[in-house]
Amino acid sequence: MSGAGSSPGGGVRPDVARPEGVRDRWKTPGGLAFRRQFTDRLASGFSYAATTVSVLALASIVWTLLSRGLPGLTLLTFTHMTASPGQEGGLANAIAGSLFQTAAAIALGAPLGLMCGIYLADYGQGKLASTVRFVSDMLLSAPSILIGLFVYQTIVAPIGHFSGFAGAIALAILALPIVVRTTEDMLRLVPVSMREAGIALGASKWRVILFICLRAAKTGVMTGILLAVARVAGETAPLLFTSLGNSGWSFSPAEPMASLPVTIYQYAGSAFTDWAQMAWTGALLITLGVLAINILVRTGFGRNGT
Amino acid sequence: MTETSHTVKSYEQELELLRNIMARMGGLVERQTSLAVAAVIDRNEEAAIEAPDLDPQVDELEREAETLAIRILALRSPMAVDLREIVSALKITGDLERIGDYASSIARRSMKLDIADSGISLTGLRSMGRLVQDNLRRVIDALSQRDRDRAIEVWQADTAVDEFYTSMFRELMTYMMEDPRSITSCIHLLFVAKNLERIGDHATNIAERIYYAATGQMLPAVRPRGGLAASAPSRPAE
Amino acid sequence: MTASPALSGLPGGLSLPQNETHRPMISVRNLDFYYGEHKALRNISLNFPERCVTGMIGPSGCGKSTLLRVLNRMYDLYPGQRATGEVLFDDRNVISPDIDLNRLRARIGMVFQKPTPFPMSIYDNIAFGVKLHETLSRSEMNDRVEDVLRRVALWNEVKDRLHASATAMSGGQQQRLCIARTIATKPEVILLDEPTSALDPVSTARIEELLDELKKEFTIAIVTHNMQQAARCADQVAFFYLGELVEVDSTDVIFTAPREARTQDYITGRFG
Repeated sequence: MSGAGSSPGGGVRPDVARPEGVRDRWKTPGGLAFRRQFTDRLASGFSYAATTVSVLALASIVWTLLSRGLPGLTLLTFTHMTASPGQEGGLANAIAGSLFQTAAAIALGAPLGLMCGIYLADYGQGKLASTVRFVSDMLLSAPSILIGLFVYQTIVAPIGHFSGFAGAIALAILALPIVVRTTEDMLRLVPVSMREAGIALGASKWRVILFICLRAAKTGVMTGILLAVARVAGETAPLLFTSLGNSGWSFSPAEPMASLPVTIYQYAGSAFTDWAQMAWTGALLITLGVLAINILVRTGFGRNGT
Repeated sequence: MTETSHTVKSYEQELELLRNIMARMGGLVERQTSLAVAAVIDRNEEAAIEAPDLDPQVDELEREAETLAIRILALRSPMAVDLREIVSALKITGDLERIGDYASSIARRSMKLDIADSGISLTGLRSMGRLVQDNLRRVIDALSQRDRDRAIEVWQADTAVDEFYTSMFRELMTYMMEDPRSITSCIHLLFVAKNLERIGDHATNIAERIYYAATGQMLPAVRPRGGLAASAPSRPAE
Repeated sequence: MTASPALSGLPGGLSLPQNETHRPMISVRNLDFYYGEHKALRNISLNFPERCVTGMIGPSGCGKSTLLRVLNRMYDLYPGQRATGEVLFDDRNVISPDIDLNRLRARIGMVFQKPTPFPMSIYDNIAFGVKLHETLSRSEMNDRVEDVLRRVALWNEVKDRLHASATAMSGGQQQRLCIARTIATKPEVILLDEPTSALDPVSTARIEELLDELKKEFTIAIVTHNMQQAARCADQVAFFYLGELVEVDSTDVIFTAPREARTQDYITGRFG
């Protein structure tokens, strides 16, 4: 903890004698030194312990996923569809469904969230803006199953059947507040002087926002969108009431659509060993996917951001 | 001027020190001048020796003032009234030092002077010496009080000194033409008168610097030969 | 004290303020300014002579930056701020509501305290402003970019990396880029709000040298906390205190023999 230089008595020149009766001001007086050192060690000890516990938990999850999921990960996983127990099957339809619904959700939610974020950061004033901000923050922490139920009530029930489209909308509603919040925060981080410099050149407000502020906040905004992707890709609850799941291919967003989380949900509790294996493999795939996005966010964008 | 003092105390102290040095120089050269006049008029030999002895002190103070002024200029970037005061101080200390030199020169010359029974009258020189001393005293008072009105008075009074010198010149010429044996003494006295006149000029210079430091206005380059009212600076100072 | 003929021949000249040879480019007349209820400027009347540098000094919050932001209507960005009076520029009152703000800001450019390069290439930083007001061919635009970069003495430093990000430049370079960007829109007036307060002395000297060049063509108003800078760069200096214009005069008068006691107290460092 302490180097040679800072330990008591460290750095003493043997050739210089301290005169009698002169206090060594390098030494902490009284019992302070001991108490201070004790508290320091205690606090450090707790921090190390807590870190170890959480890292162990995470390692255990990853290890279990890898050990249980890897054996089932073959080429078939990507080429074959889900099948009945006992038959050779994969997760192709679930993967495709997840990709489609996530992409559609982001395509719907990101632009909306972006515009809403711009409104809050640059135009919104007074009651309306603070209400919008409050509602968006509420949405951010709303239980995702509620959102599934909401979309069920407003879309699935009136239409009369589940659909991939409804699933995408539910996911979009989840993605929306994340994008709103990060866009607003990132735009607010753009210095006022940058906006004023744009205005001072004779540029109109929308041009300044679009070509200067958004560009300056690009890294943060993209990060926000990717975080929304990561969040949405692993959601199960909102899909149960909306896209339901489908054991076959479904190219039409108007029909029920398979997805990885729902498939995991359905297979994990199953008594059939090959379905249980498939659930593990699916879980591994989602985890890897989300992990990849997180790594992308940290390395790809974090670095060149200013 | 303004009574408020600098936010930075040490700046104020440095300016105060500069004023202090000028005051000490003023006191010294005033004493040198009165010693020199006494040496000539009253034939006071002690005074004749003492006046030049004060020179090194005056020179030392001048160097101190210059060092301090340059230091303030470099470190404080003085502006407006401060800038004027410091630049004026540089010139005023130069003038004071010259006055000291002239006084010493008069005192030294007094020792070579032998007018015991030459019949030369020193009355004119006595009056001229008194006037120059008076002007010098008043300008040094004006300096310590930064009083621009008194500075103008001194500036105007120098005309009288010049007139005294002209009449001294004429008087001594007459002595020399009447009695060639008096030429040596008369030439010495002429130099004394000339040096007194120069002291008067430097006192005037100091008065001009005091006026500039206080108001930011330069007095006209040519001094009026008549009353002041005609050419007084038109812009009222603050 | 009037400048003697010998002095007025100096480079950087000692032009007298409010005089006949430099007609006023901007005339502020009886200007009041309010931040909500707070009156930030009181009855300001001031001329900005053509092709002269007007320095504005005063303690923080004295209104000098506020005045600068009135001249290009920057205050319009913020609700609750309003101005009354006249700011005459090219026969129009700048603070009247029917002024085309984008045109106004193209004609009265502004450079800020902190360098504000846009997050784009050096070239695009300059082209951005130009494109707002003119339609230039590619080669015309290239010429314009080169011309303004040469004038701010940046061309040789950046000609090989025009398409590199502007944010990678040093602070001094960024500020010169911002000035280049401003003059690229061909303004008549340039407002500078403490343009060197974030720069080191060498970069500062370069900007000041640049001002000497620019004033041959532009009318310049500069707000600065650095009195030496005002003394070095400005032809006339205006001293503001508590929202009032206390004194305006030629730079040499302000710094050697100001008329007002408040000016004197401020520039000699006698404010409590």
